[in-house]
Amino acid sequence: MASTSISKAEKSYIQAGLLANPPRRADGRSLHDFRVISLETGFAPLSNGSAHLSIGRNPHNGSGGTDIMASVKLEVESIEEDASDGGRIVCNVSCSPSAYPHLTSGALDDLQYDLTTVLHQTLSHPSLHPKNLNIIPRKKSWLLNLDLLVTADAGNIYDALFMAARAALWDTKVPRTRSVEYKSPKSLSSASGDMDVDQDTTSGFDTRKVAHATDFELPDYWDEGEILEGRERWPVAITLNLVKTIHFLDATLQEEASCASRLLVVHSYESPISPTVQSMRMLGSEELSILNLKNLIKEAESYTNTMFSSLTAKLEDEDFRRNQKARERFGKRR
Amino acid sequence: MASTEAVITQRKFFKKTARGKVVKVLRERYLRDDVACGIQGCRECSTEIPEPLPFSGSFEHQLYPNGHYLLPDTNVFLAQMDLIESSLFTPPIILLQTVIEEVRHRSLPLYNRLKALTKSEDKSIWIFYNEYRSETAIVREENEIPNDRNDRGIRVATAWYNTHISLTRPPIRGQKQTPHPTVVLMTEDAANREKAAKSGVTSISVRKYVEGMKDANLLLDLLAADGSQEIEPTKAASGRQALYPDYLPISTLLAGVKAGELHQGHFNANQYNYLEGSVPVPAFDKPILLVGRENMNRVVQGDIVVVEVFPEKEWKAPADEVVDQEATLKNDDAEDSGEEGDENGEEVFVKESRALSESSSQKPPSERQPTGRVVGVVKRNWRAYVCHIDNTSLTSTLTTSLSTQTVFATPVSRLLPRIRLRTRQAPILLNQKILVTIDRWDATSRYPEGHFVRALGRVESKEAEQESLLLEFEVPYRPFGKAILDCLPPEGDQWVVPPKGEFDIQNIWRDREDLRDVIVCSIDPPGCQDIDDALHAKLLPNGNIEAGVHIADVSHFVLPDNPMDSEAAARGTTVYLVDNRIDMLPSLLGTNLCSLRPFVERLAFSSIWELTPDAEIVSVRFTKSVIKPKAAFTYEEAQIRKDDPNLQDDLTNSIRLLNSLAIKLKAKRMAAGALNLASPEVKIHLDSAESSDPIDVEQKELRETNSLVEEFMLLANISVAKKIEESFPQTAVLRRHLPPPKTNFEKLQDILRKTKGLSLDVSSSGALAASLDICVDANEPAFNTLVRIMATRCMLSAEYFSSGSVAKNTFGHYGLASKIYTHFTSPIRRYADVLVHRQLSAAIGFTPLHATLHSKSHVERVLDVVNRRHRMAQMAGRASVEFYVGLALKARGEQAKVRGEADVKEEAFVIRTFRNGVGVFVSKLGIEGLVTFKRDTQFDAENYTITVPGAKEDVKISVFEKVIVRIEVEKDKNTQRGKVKMTLVEPVDSSAL
Repeated sequence: MASTSISKAEKSYIQAGLLANPPRRADGRSLHDFRVISLETGFAPLSNGSAHLSIGRNPHNGSGGTDIMASVKLEVESIEEDASDGGRIVCNVSCSPSAYPHLTSGALDDLQYDLTTVLHQTLSHPSLHPKNLNIIPRKKSWLLNLDLLVTADAGNIYDALFMAARAALWDTKVPRTRSVEYKSPKSLSSASGDMDVDQDTTSGFDTRKVAHATDFELPDYWDEGEILEGRERWPVAITLNLVKTIHFLDATLQEEASCASRLLVVHSYESPISPTVQSMRMLGSEELSILNLKNLIKEAESYTNTMFSSLTAKLEDEDFRRNQKARERFGKRR
Repeated sequence: MASTEAVITQRKFFKKTARGKVVKVLRERYLRDDVACGIQGCRECSTEIPEPLPFSGSFEHQLYPNGHYLLPDTNVFLAQMDLIESSLFTPPIILLQTVIEEVRHRSLPLYNRLKALTKSEDKSIWIFYNEYRSETAIVREENEIPNDRNDRGIRVATAWYNTHISLTRPPIRGQKQTPHPTVVLMTEDAANREKAAKSGVTSISVRKYVEGMKDANLLLDLLAADGSQEIEPTKAASGRQALYPDYLPISTLLAGVKAGELHQGHFNANQYNYLEGSVPVPAFDKPILLVGRENMNRVVQGDIVVVEVFPEKEWKAPADEVVDQEATLKNDDAEDSGEEGDENGEEVFVKESRALSESSSQKPPSERQPTGRVVGVVKRNWRAYVCHIDNTSLTSTLTTSLSTQTVFATPVSRLLPRIRLRTRQAPILLNQKILVTIDRWDATSRYPEGHFVRALGRVESKEAEQESLLLEFEVPYRPFGKAILDCLPPEGDQWVVPPKGEFDIQNIWRDREDLRDVIVCSIDPPGCQDIDDALHAKLLPNGNIEAGVHIADVSHFVLPDNPMDSEAAARGTTVYLVDNRIDMLPSLLGTNLCSLRPFVERLAFSSIWELTPDAEIVSVRFTKSVIKPKAAFTYEEAQIRKDDPNLQDDLTNSIRLLNSLAIKLKAKRMAAGALNLASPEVKIHLDSAESSDPIDVEQKELRETNSLVEEFMLLANISVAKKIEESFPQTAVLRRHLPPPKTNFEKLQDILRKTKGLSLDVSSSGALAASLDICVDANEPAFNTLVRIMATRCMLSAEYFSSGSVAKNTFGHYGLASKIYTHFTSPIRRYADVLVHRQLSAAIGFTPLHATLHSKSHVERVLDVVNRRHRMAQMAGRASVEFYVGLALKARGEQAKVRGEADVKEEAFVIRTFRNGVGVFVSKLGIEGLVTFKRDTQFDAENYTITVPGAKEDVKISVFEKVIVRIEVEKDKNTQRGKVKMTLVEPVDSSAL
């Protein structure tokens, strides 16, 4: 963060290290190495989907590192007249004051607002919108609240936020609903005095004219619901920290303070090969030539690709751990 | 780590709130290894409480000679609760937590019965918390529905029990190994039994289990109809034609009701026409009419149903014909009714549709009311009904055999359909009153199916009839339990008011006024044992009069929130039957300690007024007191005493004083617009205590002194109501009588206008009172009473309510024309009065108000029960009178026969005309009856007349006409029900019609 105050000497020392050949970083990583990322999904049982992510936590004592908790809460929302159909996504990032002890509450608000804007604008984009947030067409839908809480910041907050968001959204289960309606049989003729009643029985589940549905019910289901449609699409982000001609990844707070500008690229992988750019931000004050930008975007693609595949693998592993494995372990105990 | 095992320890589910939000609910569970098995002497498990399960199980069942325990599945309790509750069913039972929870989820009443069962001492039931024992806890699998999960849990628990037993009883060297008892899974679900067999768990169906029991014959009848279908796979249920449309799913119903397209309400059957019913709903002024069997769609009196209303052009008017189910369906065969294409079914269908089409002929559009059909049931209100076995439904060849057969049970109440039931005791049950529960009503079955619960006794025996009355009107009549009797003063009937002063250890005299010297007397009906009110009056030096009403201080003995109080609240009211009284409070209180007997010191709650000689209230005060009544008069004695000019003692003078005030009070009340309504009241003479055969019936006589007591009770009630409403504006217990909707009177007004040219002004109670006064027929003095009776029937009934629950402008009592009213004067026999006593006592600062009486919702809940009990008690009382009137008429008819006279004939008034009959009211006997003609007559619905062919020429009969009827008591051939049968004698003899 730019507000982390380091001295000019420190700054130039860090820059010199990064520009040296071979480059040297304080923790011994190479320019494009990440710190250790740990991720756990489903840590908040009362939410509809949750994830706990940290980057660079000390594996021995669990201290330090960027720490983020993300949770998804679904809420039933009545759709007002001429409002958009199919649900909404609202992202909110809040920063714990203990993560930024040096910030005043006003500055903290600004920071939260900035982070929220980036996440909300990216994730609520129509191209990413899951199709199963509907409950009753034109009547009711789910409002997806994605809340991210930054409990500690040790640099690279954007990557961490997007990863946590992707994990929580991946973990999200939408409760199954069944819309119910009462379709009045307008064609009902004189049925009285007639003993054989057959085809005229009305069905409560006629989906052809669902516009009449007024309410919904929750059918009992073994699981917590179905996953969000298109959960593979949720994007991953990479921050390229720029120092002169080179760039490096996963900056610590000090390193962030030492580089004048950063490029944030958010990629969504509909197919594993060709990503679409969901969002791009240039942070910082230095200039960047178009040519450079092109190269950087190309580079970013390879990073996000790795990040995407390893994150997906981890998320699948988490799903397995929490269900099948736990069940097997329980079965063995007997 | 908790998070890794979340899938085991946490149960998450979604709940939809009333406001349509979805909430996620999380339940954590902690598994333990020390949940006890409940078997006596188990070396592994130990508990503090004694284990109910015998060490070697039960040897009573022939299939399990090594001993067994029974582990019933949920469906056993859902379907066969009567069996489990039977005192003959005593195997040791293991009750799983899973089962209890599933029962609670499915049916709250059954859950409550199950809870009571686990507490009863004659059953050995052990509740095993299988979900909390680590070995028996299970986790819901992927794609597993809850029902399967629970079934699996039950099987796992059964298997665990069997292993547990064998593990804890290892063979001992040198001793012969005794075989272990088996834990048997009892379930109605064939699929579950199959799965159990696969995993090596012993299982059995209920029917099969009961068949192997000692008392199989008696117990098999208790089996609900649910169990019977597997046993007879010959009747392919799927092959049957659905006679009724299916219900919509409950969520659809609620959605429809919410959207206002459907309507929800209580179903009321029509007692004159079993093919017609109605559902009052808030959306329409008139109740929604349901015509025909399939529009009523398997609903039974009292069910909460959802109705769809037809388009307005299909609306109908209620039928004007009596359609008797016994007559129409006489030949229906219980064995195969409801099967496809049988001739019987066709016949019934033809008859019924004719009955419908005839009645739905041209009617004035004004009489049409919303018409619809039932599309679903929100809540069944089924309970045990008193029935007779229909003897024609017995297969004639089998009348003596003990084999199972299907018979019809006809409920005593005309509002209920016949119930099909299977029994092997049919021949024994003939001529008995029996209790039958409805189990289900399938779309393929014309009648509901039920099972036999128990026999009440021989038809027309007093005991059976009385019990059946109490059951039919849901009057709680069990004797008071020990916990309740323990709340009585320990001195019992030796209890006396302690002398004032130092010997008054309990401080009973605190703040009590000593009114022992006041000349107080009570006036009651003869033979009254529970005297709860007494009066006094005296002249004051300033020319005004002091009058006092003294009510037994019941709230001194019945303290809030103890077992006696809860029981009284549940009973709500004392029920008076002709030959019996079901007390609300133990009789020690009702007929002794709280009865204001003469010459005995009693605690009282007094209301004392200062009145001007013109009966204007100068002041009123309320106080707890001690009184010593100087006399207990009957109405007649008081009347005679008052009228005797020779008597000039204080007591007599005070009665005269009271009387003069009462006359003025009444005049004022009438001027304010109070109604003088009439309802037929009949008195039964019982000739002696032993035989209690009524010998005669006569109308109750009203004396001046009746009205004296009444006026002062009204005065007390009104004064008290004002006081408590002032002190507790949110929770005061009040009573109101809402003005009836104008539409209720439409028909009566129309009849009066057309037949007598009279008009009825119903704009206010005063106007109604005035116009009722001029409804007289010079030739017929009884006519006025008749109109009053009919007007009374158009009104709503009065109800108790909590003052904070309704708008203040609806507090009024229509009949009494009072702005505010309550019941204060009979705390021995009405629970509302007890509450009012407590509130008044708090209002005068005598005692603090109990916390429950500050809670609006609590007061509302209690009053709901009291209102319902009150209604039921009235109906039970009326039914009891009817029964005795029937007996009396029968006796009279027999005497007449002995004397060689003709049958009993009485004057009667026509009150209703039907296409094929007339409803008549016999004022002398206070009974209503129905004269039906076999042939149709010319019926003029517009003018309420029918024309019947007479001996010479046709005779026109209209409403209010005086006729003479022959009254016989005829034993209904099919049901053994004593039934008053009336036939017209004049103007025409209808026996030939």
